[in-house]
Amino acid sequence: MWKVAPVLLLLLATPRLTAQSAVQPAEEQARILGLENAWDRAVKQKDAAALKMLLAPELVYVDYDGKLRDKAEYLASIQSPTFHPERIVSESVNVHIYGAVAVVSGVYREKGEKNGKPYTLRERFTDTWVLRSENWMCVASHSTLISP
Amino acid sequence: MKSAVLVMILLCSAVWLTAAQSGADPDAVTKVLALEHAWNQAEEQKDTKAMDAIFDNAMVVVDYDGTLRIKAEFLAKMRSETSHPQIEVTESMTARMLGTTVVVTGVYVMKGVENGKAYARRGRFIDTWAFKDGNWLCVTSQATPILH
Repeated sequence: MWKVAPVLLLLLATPRLTAQSAVQPAEEQARILGLENAWDRAVKQKDAAALKMLLAPELVYVDYDGKLRDKAEYLASIQSPTFHPERIVSESVNVHIYGAVAVVSGVYREKGEKNGKPYTLRERFTDTWVLRSENWMCVASHSTLISP
Repeated sequence: MKSAVLVMILLCSAVWLTAAQSGADPDAVTKVLALEHAWNQAEEQKDTKAMDAIFDNAMVVVDYDGTLRIKAEFLAKMRSETSHPQIEVTESMTARMLGTTVVVTGVYVMKGVENGKAYARRGRFIDTWAFKDGNWLCVTSQATPILH
């Protein structure tokens, strides 16, 4: 069975890269895309341990309804027993790296059941990742609803 | 009366090189918050020169309706004859410095006329600022209507 956490450890580790060194854009872009994919899988599997590794303690998360959540609140929302994501797909994802900061933009499709009701969402998102102690961690994530 | 562009040039350029290299500018948060207020003023005045000075060329903006715009598209929308913003106020704003990045979260209220129709919007935003070539530049901005 595929496990998220070991893959994350590999993706998070950037032994040759520090905030002061020259960033390898293509390599780092691929690494960050891998982290974004791991995030999608972790949400689908409700894997809080994997999510904790991806998200910085200072995370600010703005959901599609404008609600602001910190890391603990976001993790609690994923772990809620009434939340059952079935399908999560990110598309049109673009990564731009500014030294030790990376901005990811894309479209996120999610389908599942929440509070006993089926839902389908399509959102535009931006995520901000910072390089910290040789790991990329997400510090900000923001979604806005778009038409399905 | 000083124009917004002059204020922005001063704000952008008054940076210590040593702080830039270490990524530890103690005044970064104050400067970025000042740039946020200048942004509101520039948007009300449709001052695209001022906006140009604080946006990174690779900036992406996700508007309240989920529309993705690059810098040139955002500035073109500001210049549009059919767009007449009247008031843009930030209700609350918090900035957090993370190395060479500042993440600003807040709530804004905007009133104006677009395509002949009056509008009033209230939304949550996250702006990410990166320190680049001696200046703080906004690299991504996203807004979401507050639905709750």
